[in-house]
Amino acid sequence: MEKLDTRLIKNFEERNLSKHSLGWISDYRSTAINLVKEMGMPKLSDEDWRFTSLKDFSLKDFSPIFSSKSNFKKPSLPDYIDKIDGYFIYIHNGNLVSGTEYPFIVEPLEASFEYPEVKKVLLDDTLSKNKDFFYELGSAFIENGLYLKINKSQKIDKPIIIINSFDSELDNKFLNTRNIFFFGESSSAEIIEYSLSDSQNEYFLNKTTTVNIESNSNVEHLLVEAGNKNSYIFSNLKIIQSRDSNFTTNSILTGGLLIRNNVHPMLNGEGANSNILGLYLSTEEQLMDNYMFVEHLKANCESRQLYKGLLNDSSKGVFHGRILVHEEAQQTNAYQTNRNLLLSDDAQVDTKPQLEIYADDVKCSHGATIGQIDKEALLYLRARGISKDKAMLMLIKAFTDEVCEPIKNQTLLDAFHNIVNNWFEKSKLTN
Amino acid sequence: MLEIINLHAEVEGQKILQGLNLKIDKGEVHSIMGPNGSGKSTLASILAGKEDYDITDGDIVYKGESILELSPDERAQEGIFLAFQYPIEIPGVSNGYFLREAYNCINEARGNKPLKPVQFGKLAKEKIKMLKMDDSFLQRSLNEGFSGGEKKRNEILQMAILEPLLSILDETDSGLDIDALQIVANGVNSLRSKETSFLVITHYQRLLDYIVPDFVHVLVEGRIVKSGNKDLALELESKGYSWLED
Repeated sequence: MEKLDTRLIKNFEERNLSKHSLGWISDYRSTAINLVKEMGMPKLSDEDWRFTSLKDFSLKDFSPIFSSKSNFKKPSLPDYIDKIDGYFIYIHNGNLVSGTEYPFIVEPLEASFEYPEVKKVLLDDTLSKNKDFFYELGSAFIENGLYLKINKSQKIDKPIIIINSFDSELDNKFLNTRNIFFFGESSSAEIIEYSLSDSQNEYFLNKTTTVNIESNSNVEHLLVEAGNKNSYIFSNLKIIQSRDSNFTTNSILTGGLLIRNNVHPMLNGEGANSNILGLYLSTEEQLMDNYMFVEHLKANCESRQLYKGLLNDSSKGVFHGRILVHEEAQQTNAYQTNRNLLLSDDAQVDTKPQLEIYADDVKCSHGATIGQIDKEALLYLRARGISKDKAMLMLIKAFTDEVCEPIKNQTLLDAFHNIVNNWFEKSKLTN
Repeated sequence: MLEIINLHAEVEGQKILQGLNLKIDKGEVHSIMGPNGSGKSTLASILAGKEDYDITDGDIVYKGESILELSPDERAQEGIFLAFQYPIEIPGVSNGYFLREAYNCINEARGNKPLKPVQFGKLAKEKIKMLKMDDSFLQRSLNEGFSGGEKKRNEILQMAILEPLLSILDETDSGLDIDALQIVANGVNSLRSKETSFLVITHYQRLLDYIVPDFVHVLVEGRIVKSGNKDLALELESKGYSWLED
């Protein structure tokens, strides 16, 4: 049987995707598909994939889906998301659900190809030396997606909630989405992205998001990946930060059979500040692979990575934390911490720092720990009358809470706590 | 209140308690003294419900029923309290939150309504004053970075708030200077009543000047080899344990 990547390339050619009415999109797709061919599906021998095998995945038969035919029905969201006072944007099977007015720009990606800033963001990306198979696959199949723009000096008063919902139309399908979030100079906003699926069948989601943050802007971002536990999810999040901008991103992963979470902040203006936070909560057979690539291109920037994993049953976690400090990026502060709690004897985690520093005046640190729930601490709490369940939750919250400390927005904080509590209740860790 | 009957316990095949008998009635204060390795702390841990021990024989009867099958939290809800010899540091859990959770869990088990943070804060502050501690104590992480004396005082604070019926103090005096010892002893004494009982485990007679026991027992090789009144503690202080070991 043909491999998945071969079949996807064939599909690309059959659909003539390299012919688009916009010449630069044709070129963009062609360049990408050539890279896809050249690179091939990542293997364990690739340094960036050494802990995550795609062998089973590469034998799956996922065919691409572009426009959804199923009717949009508002997904059943947990109350702690549904009841948020915010601007809700619904994306169903990859298609933007229209009909709502917002005090900022929201459009399907295709409609935004004409905008110079969109063209610039996309073309700038192709200059990157670091190529990723799934990123290029996303560029080759670029079509579905969301363009979100906050204008210069605009302060958005309520969080923007982007709901990505999937239903059975996606069963055994490949969905490619490409999002661009553009934050104009001196703007500020909070964003929650929440993904969930209605169907329990497998699908392949390839999601690429480029976040462009102009100077003096403040953005907080919470990404919740709660798709079903049979799905294959590849997420690429690239952030390009300009001078004196502040960005905090917090990924909470609970879904997917296999999830690859790439986060790539580029600190590309002096005084830029980046918090890269994450929590991977895995159970059963889940595999959650987090690949951080923090790139310091300009001087006087600061980045802080804090990723924590709670791993139960026979699930597996990976943390790969790469920091690249370019020669020009003097007075860089770059910190990285990865901590893991294994909740069962069969859970496993691989953690690997990778520091490449070409500037001399740099403060860089990294640290990783793997441990278990402290039995003495559990006894201490229980000896005060606190039930085992509650005591476990207290210890788990003590572990996870640090991850949300840099978040300032109360709505995002509340959502964070609710998601962890809800995961704990569902996972029945004490059994 | 508590009756320990012919208790035999071991850990990893090593016999630690070898036929221990002890009866504590309501309102009594008992002290257990003994050389290192005699099983004092094991006894305390077993009473609190630590699961690492094999009870090979005997029984522990509390308020008329065996508690061997009860979990540590159920025992605490029934009114048993262990002041740990080495209180655990738990970063990320605030002392105030922990105390309120514990208080509410125990009171819920007793059929009372939980207290709201404000109500509980009032109660906690009264007890804090009694132990001459600072209010900021409640905001700090549980035992994290506490000095030895602060940790022991925190144990007594928990005891004062949770109002147990049977309190077991496992070498609460170790690491305390004389001022802290008095404060801790005052805290314990304020909880003495006709309804409450205490088991005070200590190496030194000094603590018993402040918490005066009704009975003193000597534990050697997992068994009580001698019992008496508070004067026995003085005798042990001058003669040591060796005369009892053979």
